[in-house]
Amino acid sequence: MSWLTDMRERVRSLLFRRREERELREELAFHLEMEQAANERRGMSAAEARRQARLTLGGVERTKEEVRDARGVRPLEDLVRDIRFAFRSFGRSPGFTVTAVLVLGLGIGANTAIFSAVRAVILEPLPLSDPGSLYMLWESNPEKGWERETAAPANFLDWKERVTAFRDVEAYSWSPFQVTLTGLDRPRVVDATEVTGGFFSMVGVEPMLGRGFTEEETWATAETPVLLSAGTWRTIFGGDPGVLETFITVNGAPARIVGVMADGFQFPTEEVDLWAPFGWSPEFRTEAWFRRAHWIRPVARLNPGVDPDQASAELEEVAAQLEREHPVLNRVMGAGMTRLDRFLLGDMRTPMLVLLAAVGVLLLIACANVGNLLLVRASGRGRDLALRAALGAGRGRLVRQMLTESLALAALGGGCGILVGLAGTRLLERLQPEGLLRVSSFPVDGTVVGYTVAVTAAAAVLFGAFPALVVRRTGAGAALREAGRSGSHGRGSRRVVGTLVAAEVALAVILVLGAGLLVRSVASLRQVDPGFDADGVAVVTLNLPSTRYETPDQVTAFYDDLLGRMRTLPEVVSAAGSTTMPLRDRGFTSDFSVAGWAADEYGSEVVRRRVTPGYFETMGVPLLEGRLFTAADRPESERVALINEAMARRYFPGEEPIGQRITADRFPDSTSVWRTIVGVVGSERQNAVAMPAQVELIEPFHQYFGRRMHIYFRVAAGDPTDLVPTIRSIVAEMDTELPLFSVADMTEVHADSMARDRFVMLLLLAFAAVALLLALVGVYGVTAQAARQRLPEMGLRMALGARAADLVRLTLGRSVVLIVSGLAVGLGAALIATRAMTGMLYGVAPNDPVTFIAVALLLAAAALGASWLPARRAARVDPARTLQAE
Amino acid sequence: MAGSSNLLQGTLELLVLKTLSLEPMHGWGLAQRIQQMSRDVFQVNQGSLYPALQRMKRKGWIRSEWQATENNRRARYYMLTAAGERQLGAERVEWERSAGAVFRILDWAGGVA
Repeated sequence: MSWLTDMRERVRSLLFRRREERELREELAFHLEMEQAANERRGMSAAEARRQARLTLGGVERTKEEVRDARGVRPLEDLVRDIRFAFRSFGRSPGFTVTAVLVLGLGIGANTAIFSAVRAVILEPLPLSDPGSLYMLWESNPEKGWERETAAPANFLDWKERVTAFRDVEAYSWSPFQVTLTGLDRPRVVDATEVTGGFFSMVGVEPMLGRGFTEEETWATAETPVLLSAGTWRTIFGGDPGVLETFITVNGAPARIVGVMADGFQFPTEEVDLWAPFGWSPEFRTEAWFRRAHWIRPVARLNPGVDPDQASAELEEVAAQLEREHPVLNRVMGAGMTRLDRFLLGDMRTPMLVLLAAVGVLLLIACANVGNLLLVRASGRGRDLALRAALGAGRGRLVRQMLTESLALAALGGGCGILVGLAGTRLLERLQPEGLLRVSSFPVDGTVVGYTVAVTAAAAVLFGAFPALVVRRTGAGAALREAGRSGSHGRGSRRVVGTLVAAEVALAVILVLGAGLLVRSVASLRQVDPGFDADGVAVVTLNLPSTRYETPDQVTAFYDDLLGRMRTLPEVVSAAGSTTMPLRDRGFTSDFSVAGWAADEYGSEVVRRRVTPGYFETMGVPLLEGRLFTAADRPESERVALINEAMARRYFPGEEPIGQRITADRFPDSTSVWRTIVGVVGSERQNAVAMPAQVELIEPFHQYFGRRMHIYFRVAAGDPTDLVPTIRSIVAEMDTELPLFSVADMTEVHADSMARDRFVMLLLLAFAAVALLLALVGVYGVTAQAARQRLPEMGLRMALGARAADLVRLTLGRSVVLIVSGLAVGLGAALIATRAMTGMLYGVAPNDPVTFIAVALLLAAAALGASWLPARRAARVDPARTLQAE
Repeated sequence: MAGSSNLLQGTLELLVLKTLSLEPMHGWGLAQRIQQMSRDVFQVNQGSLYPALQRMKRKGWIRSEWQATENNRRARYYMLTAAGERQLGAERVEWERSAGAVFRILDWAGGVA
C-alpha cells in the first residue's frame, strides 16, 4: 500500500528530523564533491570547479528546502516551530502575556461558570424517564386571579379518567410539609411529600431497596407505607437493610417502611426525605371539599405520538365539562398544562439567560482588549516581522505565524479560563440562595469543558483576526517602513484599535446599564414595607401530633402554656402565635360573604389565619381601627374576626367594616358560621415583597385552633435567635417528644424573599465592574498610544508657544470621539437589550431614563478621566527632549 | 546544451525507475547516467533530483541505504522495490500506448473518417 509507506516515511521524517537533516547534508556534500571532481577532470581549476558544481546543483539551500518540502511534514513542522517561537516571544514580554492571559481567563472562565449553572438547571433533562412527555397540570381562575394554581383532588381524578390524550396522570402534594418521627433515639423532624400510588412508577423512578407504592395505595389501606431517602436511611437508620418492612411512628401514627430511594434522588426539593401515599378515604371522592380545596400538583404523561396542543385542548374541554357539572365549585375554573421541566424552572429562566448573555458580552470585551494588546505588540515588532519577510517568509507565512501566536495565547487563556471557571462554579454554588434553583451543584464535566474549548476557539478567532489582518494588509514592505518609529501603529491598525476601544465602551455600557437597573430594582424591593417590623423578632414552628393532642382544649392549653412560659423570660418583650408566616407561609384561602350583600355577591381568595392575642404587637403591625383580640375572645364568646387594610379598602370602600358580619362561605346558609368584624389591622405581605398584600381574614386562636403554629417572639435587644436554645428546652420540658420544626429570624425571612433578585444583581454587578475596568484600560491605552505618537509634534508646538492645556485638548480630541460614539452605540443597543429584563425588574422600567442618564454620565466621566490622564502626562513633557529624540 | 528540454516530474521519475532497475545508484551517479542514457537530450536538473527521490521513497517505489563507494566513501544508494518494478512496468505500457497514439496521429495521411 503506497499510503502505508507514505505514512511510515512521514512519521520517520517527523521523529528523526535531526538525523535526516544530517544525512541530507552529507548526501549533498558528496554530490558536490563528485561534481567538483568531474569538473576538475574537465580541466577547471579547483575554485572554478567548485563554483560550477554549486551552480549546476542550483543552490544548496534551495535544494535542501525542496527536499524538506518533499518530506510532506512541512505544515506540522512549521506549526511546531511557530508554537515554540510564539512561546519564546511570550516569555520575552511577560507583562503582555500575563495581562492577556488573565483578561482572557476572566472572560472565558466567567462563561464556563455561568454555563455550568445554566446547564445543570436548564439544559440537563430531569432524571426521570422520557421527561419530554411529562406535563404539569394546573388550574386557572380569572376571578380569583389564579394562573398556574394547584389543583383540587376531585378535578385531578376526573381529568385522569376522562382525558384520553394522557396515558397516565398522577399527583403529589403541593409543598413539602414536616413530620415528626418518634420512637427513635430522639424525635426527628423530616420534610415529607405525599404522592399518589402510581406516581413514582409513572415518572420512571425505582427505589434502590424494597418496593415503591402501588396504585391502590392512593386510597387508604390497612397500613401506611412510607419511602425513605437514602440520606435519611443512612443517618437515622444506619443504612441497615433490615429496617425494611419495619414500623416507625410518623406524627404519632404507625407507618411501615417499604423502600429506600436511590442516592441523589431529590423530589420535589432537596430536603424531602420521606414520601407517603395520600391514603384518601374513598368517601372523599364525592365530597365537596375534595373539589374545593386546591392543594395537589398533578403530573401527566402524554400518550406516545400525541400532540401536546391536542392534549391541552382535550384537557380544557374536560375542564369545561366539569364546570358545567359543578357550576358552583368549578365556576370559571379552567385547566392547562406546561412541560414539567419548564414549570419547575419557574421564574429563574430569564435571569439565567440574561446572565449567560452578560458573560458573552464580557467575553467580547475581553477579546477586544486582547486584540488591542496584540496590535500594540505587533506594531512594536514591525522591524522583526520585516526582517523575517526579507529572509523569505511569504506574507502567508507571517499571517500563519500570527495566527499560531493567537492560538497559543488562546490556549493559555483557555487553560486559565478553566481554572477561573472551576473556582467561579464553586463560588456560584456557595452563593446561590437556598432552594432558588432546582439543583444546588453544577458539575464541571466533559460538556462544560467542551463548551470552554469552543468559547476559547471563538475568542481566538475574534482577537486573532486583527493582528493577522493588519499584517496581511500592510505587508512586509510597509511594516519595515513603519517600523522606523518604534511603538507606533500604522494608519490601518490605528483605526482598528480605535474601533475596538469604542466597541469595548459600547459593550461595557450595556452591562453597566443592566446592573444599574437591577440595583435600582433591589433598592425598590428593599424599600417596600412588608407590613411588619422584623427587627428583633424570631419565630419557631411547632406541629402538635394529633395522636397526643386530640382535642382543641389540649392544643390551646399547650400553646397558652408555652406562650406564658416564654413571656416570663426577661429578654422577651412579647410573644404570640399565628398559623401563617408573612413572606413564607401563606396558609390557605377561601371564599367569603358579608351580611347584607346581594344573594349572588361573594368574595374569594381571602387569606385565612388564626392568631393568639399579642400577635400584632409582637410583629409591629399597626391597629388601624377598632380593637385587637384579647383573652376575652373565648370559644364561648361571640365569634369575632379582624380584617387587614387591603380587605377593608377593597371590599368595604367608604364603609365602616367594624360591626359587619362575615362568613367563610360563598353562599351562606343556615350552617354558616358568622363572625363580627371588630377591627382593621395593617396589611402584611403574605407571598413576596414584590407582590401586594392579599385580603385577609383573621380569627382568634382560641375560637379555633391549629396544631401547627408559628410562635413569634420579640426581644428588647440583641439577636433573637440567641434565645432559641432556651425555648427548645422549654418545649422539651413540656413534651419530650416534640421537636422544633424550624427556626428563623424575621429579618432573614425578609431578606430571603429578595434573595433571587439580590443574587442576580450581585453577579451582574461583578460582570459590569470587570467590563468597565477593561473598557477604561482600553481607553487609557489608546490615548497613551496617540499621545506617544504625537510627542514630536507636541514638542514642536510647545517650542512654538502652545500651552499645556491646548496640547491636552489636541490629544484628547480623538479619544473623545471614540468615547462618545461608543457611548451612543452602547446606549442605543442597551435600550433594546434591557427589554429582555422586563420580568426581572421591580419598580423600575427597562428603559428608565434616570438610570440611563446616570450610567451615561458615570461612564462618560470615567472614560474621559481615563483618557485625560495620559494626555496630561504627555503634555507635560519637555519639548527639548522630544525634539531631540526625533 | 542545445536541444535540452524541460524534464517533467513524471518523466524524471520514470527515468529514475528505469536507471535503478539496472543497478542501485547514488544521486550523483543517477544524474550522470540519465544524461548519458538519453544522449544528453535530457539535462537532469540536479537540484530537482533529490526532492523527486524523496517523493519516490514516500510512494514506496525506491528505498535507500548508505553504502561504500569504489573509493571507500560513504554515499546514499537508491534501489528499486518490488512496487517500483511494478510501477516501471505499468508506466512502460502507458508510454507505449500514448506514444503509439501520437505517432498514429502524426502519420495520418488524411482521408475520410
